Formats: sequence, structure tokens, C-alpha cells
Amino acid sequence: MDVRRVRAVAKRIVLGFRRDRRSLGLLFAAPIIVLSLVGAVWGSTTERAPVVAIATDRFAGPPNVIDRFLSSSIIQGRRATFDEGSRQLRDGEADALVWLDGQSAIMHIVIEGSDPLASGTIGTAVQRAFVEGLTALGQVPGPRIVIEQLYGGSDYSLLDYLAPVLVAFFAFFFIFLLSAVSFLRERTTGTLERLMATPLRRGELVIGYLVGFSFFALLQALVILVFTVFVLQVHYRGNLATIFIVEAVLVVGAVSLGLLVSAAARNELQAVQFVPIVLLPQVFLSGLLIPVDQLPDYLRPFSTVLPLTYANEALRSVMIKGYELADPLVLRDIGILVAFGLVMAVGAVASIRREVA
Amino acid sequence: MEADFAVVAQGIRKRFGAIEALRGLDLSIRVGEIYGLLGPNGSGKTTIIRCVAGLLRPEAGTLSVLGGTPRAAVNSGRVGYMTQAPALYADLSVEENLAFFAALENVPNASQRIEESLRAVDLLDRRRSVVSTLSGGMRTRVSLAATFLNHPSLLLLDEPTVGVDPVLRHQSWARFRRLAAAGITILVSSHVMDEASRCDRLGLIRDGVVLAEGSANELVSRAGTRDLESAFLSLAEAR
Repeated sequence: MDVRRVRAVAKRIVLGFRRDRRSLGLLFAAPIIVLSLVGAVWGSTTERAPVVAIATDRFAGPPNVIDRFLSSSIIQGRRATFDEGSRQLRDGEADALVWLDGQSAIMHIVIEGSDPLASGTIGTAVQRAFVEGLTALGQVPGPRIVIEQLYGGSDYSLLDYLAPVLVAFFAFFFIFLLSAVSFLRERTTGTLERLMATPLRRGELVIGYLVGFSFFALLQALVILVFTVFVLQVHYRGNLATIFIVEAVLVVGAVSLGLLVSAAARNELQAVQFVPIVLLPQVFLSGLLIPVDQLPDYLRPFSTVLPLTYANEALRSVMIKGYELADPLVLRDIGILVAFGLVMAVGAVASIRREVA
Repeated sequence: MEADFAVVAQGIRKRFGAIEALRGLDLSIRVGEIYGLLGPNGSGKTTIIRCVAGLLRPEAGTLSVLGGTPRAAVNSGRVGYMTQAPALYADLSVEENLAFFAALENVPNASQRIEESLRAVDLLDRRRSVVSTLSGGMRTRVSLAATFLNHPSLLLLDEPTVGVDPVLRHQSWARFRRLAAAGITILVSSHVMDEASRCDRLGLIRDGVVLAEGSANELVSRAGTRDLESAFLSLAEAR
């Protein structure tokens, strides 16, 4: 291993990036733009109280219950007949139609139902408004229920919960794409062949690439972290340095994976076609959208081989739960991410071997 | 005997799937000569050059480069290789490209060698130009300059004059001749017969074998023809 040759490869990458404005834009501007959008969409609590029509002609309870229900701040209540309420629901003017059947003592809540996520929120709001009204009238005995959280809190927005996985995802995505395309360019422009006809060894080339790209990957990871914490003002409990360490081992692994994937592509279009193959399983199986322990049994083994699974777990533990670097779970996740990076790097070296004798 | 030859290939075979690119190729290149490998497209020129450059491993035969294995010769930094298309980094300047290759080959006094090499290809005034702004001909010259930074003993030039206009081609050959005069052995491939007269010796290659070796005059008289092209046809038919 010749350190000078490794340094030369790394320096070549850094010098090349200096003049490649598109790549620099992809590295630094793109994550900021995407995160700004995410922050604007999920960061503020713009939850609208659902519009609920109460069918007074089918409501078999006392009128003061209706009055209490309508005055609740949890919903935007309005009086209607059953037919008028049904029409409003169909036309999208109301989110729910409510009535109380006297004979069966069943309270019916009809919701539009095309969006399961919204359905849950509307149903819960209607129930809460109704219980609130009855409690105020003294018709529901028993203790008042107060729910408290071990982690997070009422001041946490959706973004606070999603930020750890989004930080991991964006850091992984952009650097993976860039390293795959860049190393592919080395193959397609003939420079790889030229390099292999010098004393440079394959391992030195891959390590040089890792060093050069990791310089930008870490810079990007830092930009993403600083933007998330200080501009989007996402809540975090753990140490910033620990968050950065997890991000750092993830992005170095992403560079290695990019180098390996470039071996399987013949041109830049094919390299881009690998993006969904590599990233989509991680979106669905790494705990980004659905917690891993809620996945079907037969899918869970797949999530155990995905790097983002461990990055998500570690970053959630550190950012939301405040785990320290020395925590066994965090250390285990970092260890697995390091192992992933090493395996991919060895694979990248082997992929060069196949191409050039 | 071996010391007189920079490259000796005997019975080299190389297959790519169903295609047998080299079918028992023999050639010998003397130290200090310009050896022209002449043959049509697909005859195996690039494949044997890649074998000599240590990029392909022959399946059969023996190949000696500068007295050792191709890889050992390349690792010693004594082999310069110019690929068919200029292999340069478009985002780097001319000087940065050369500095990179110099670092890979541990070239001593790199900045001085870079200056020498650029002067040899008449591009010293473009040293700070970014490669992507250069013409195709200039890129070819930078690519050539990158091959002799380390004062190699053997230069491998794969069709260096393809697509180059007659004036530049003439200048390129003058440059190769100067390098040979400095003691560098040159293996140059071409599919253009009129470049043959510029080489000291030739290897006429077709279908993965060298049909005949010798100077242009020797080959013509051996085949009993008027010119080299006819000699090539006659040798190909006789096989």
C-alpha cells in the first residue's frame, strides 16, 4: 500500500469536484432544498380540525349534548339533517357525519374513508369531542385520562420524529448516486484502463476514492445535520457529535456501495437505474416509513441486511431517545455499518479485478 | 538474446467468450526500435497491446516484457501506455492531469518532468487549460505526454494517429522518432498501411496472429509484391 498513490487519487477527486458545479449542487444544494420542503410540509403543526356534520334529525340524545359537541375546539361542528350531511360528506364539504341511534345506543360516525391516515385522525377527533362533551355534562364517570410520553412530547411535530431517518436517507442517497456515477465515468472514459496500466493497485484506487469521496460525503453530512438542527430546528436529545458519527459511517458505506454498483452498469443511465433498486427496498424495509417490528415476518430478514435499518435505529435512539455513543445498541449499529462499508469496499476492489486482468 | 528484446511473445492465446482474439500470436520487439503493429480493425492489435500492458492475462503462451512479466514491468514504472481514446480527466487542467499520473508512477522531480513532457508535445502554453476546453488533437498530445513522464523504457501507443489530420500525424511521427532516438522502445499500432514506412520493423497482424515480421522492404521483397498492401494481401492468402 503506497500512501502517496492513495493521496494522489483522493486529491484528483477533490480537484475534479472543484470544477464540477452540477455535482457540487447535487451534494450541497439538493439536500438543503429537499429538507426545506420537508420542513415546510411536516415541520409546522397545520393540523385542521375536521368538519363534522351532526344529523340532528337522527340524534337520539339530549340537545345539550349536541350543543357541547358543537362547541368543542377539537372539531368544527355544524348542524344538518341526515340527507344534507350525507351530501356534504360526498361533496367534500364535511369530513364526518355523526348521529346517535336511540334504540341500539350506537353512535355512528361516517367518514369519507379514501385516506386511511386521515380517517384515523377524524374518527379519534370525533370520539374525543363527544367524550369531552359528556364529561363536561357529568355523564361519564371515572378518572380523567392524561397521556404522557417517555420520549418526544406534545411540542414535537411530525418532522421531529422523521428527521433522524430523513437525515440518514438523504445523506445516503446523494453520495451513493454521485460515487456510482463518478466511478462509472472512470470506467467508461477509459481512465480506469489507463490507471491499471500504472503501478497503482486496485486497493489503492478504491481507498483513494473512499478518502476523496468521504471528504465530500462528510461535508455533506455536516451540512445536512447543521441545517436540520439549526435551521429546521428539529428537536434532538442526544449528542450532536454522536449523531454525526453515525451519519459518517453510513455515508462512507454509501460511497463503497456506489463504487460496487458502478461495476454492474455500462453507462450513466444504467447507473441511475440502480438507484430505485438500491434505495426503494430501504425506504420500505429499513424502518423509514413502517417500523421494522411491524413488518410481516417474511420481510423482516431483508431489513436486517440493509444499512439504513441500522442507521435509522441508531439515529432515532440518539436524536429522540438521547442515547449516548457508548450505548450497546448504538455501538452495535455503528459496528454493523462499518462492517457493511468494508464488505462493499472489498466487493468494489473485486469488481475491478473482474474487468481488468 | 533476451536482453536485446523489449517484448517477446510466443504462442499467445486470448479468448473473449466465443471470440478468439489471439490465436497463438508470436512477436519480438527489439530494444530501441519503433515496432509497428499493422492490421485491420478486429485483428487483435489492441488485445496484444493490453496483454503487454498487463491489463489482460493470456490463456496460453509466454510473454516477456522488459525481461519479466508484463505486470512486473508496469509496476516498475518502465512502461508507458497510451490508450486509443485519450484517457484524461476532463475536469482537471493539463498540468493537474500530468501531476496525477506522475504521482501514481512516483516520478522524481515531477514538476520539471511535466514541463519537459509538455514542451515535447508543444503544449507548455496550455498547461493551465482545463482538458475539457482542449481540441481532440491537443488531448491526444496531453495523453501522449502523460506516457513518458517517467522516462519509460517501453511505450505502447494504441492507434495514436486515428482521426488525426495529415499535418498533425506527421508531427506525431516526428515526436515518436525523437522519443525512440532518446532510447525508448515503441510499440505502435495502426490500420493505415502508409504509416508502415515510419517504423523500423513491422508485424502484420490478422485474425489474432502475426503473419510476418520485418522491415517494410523485407516484407515486400519476401512477398514478391510491389507494395506493402499487396504484401499483406499475399501473406494473408498464403496462410
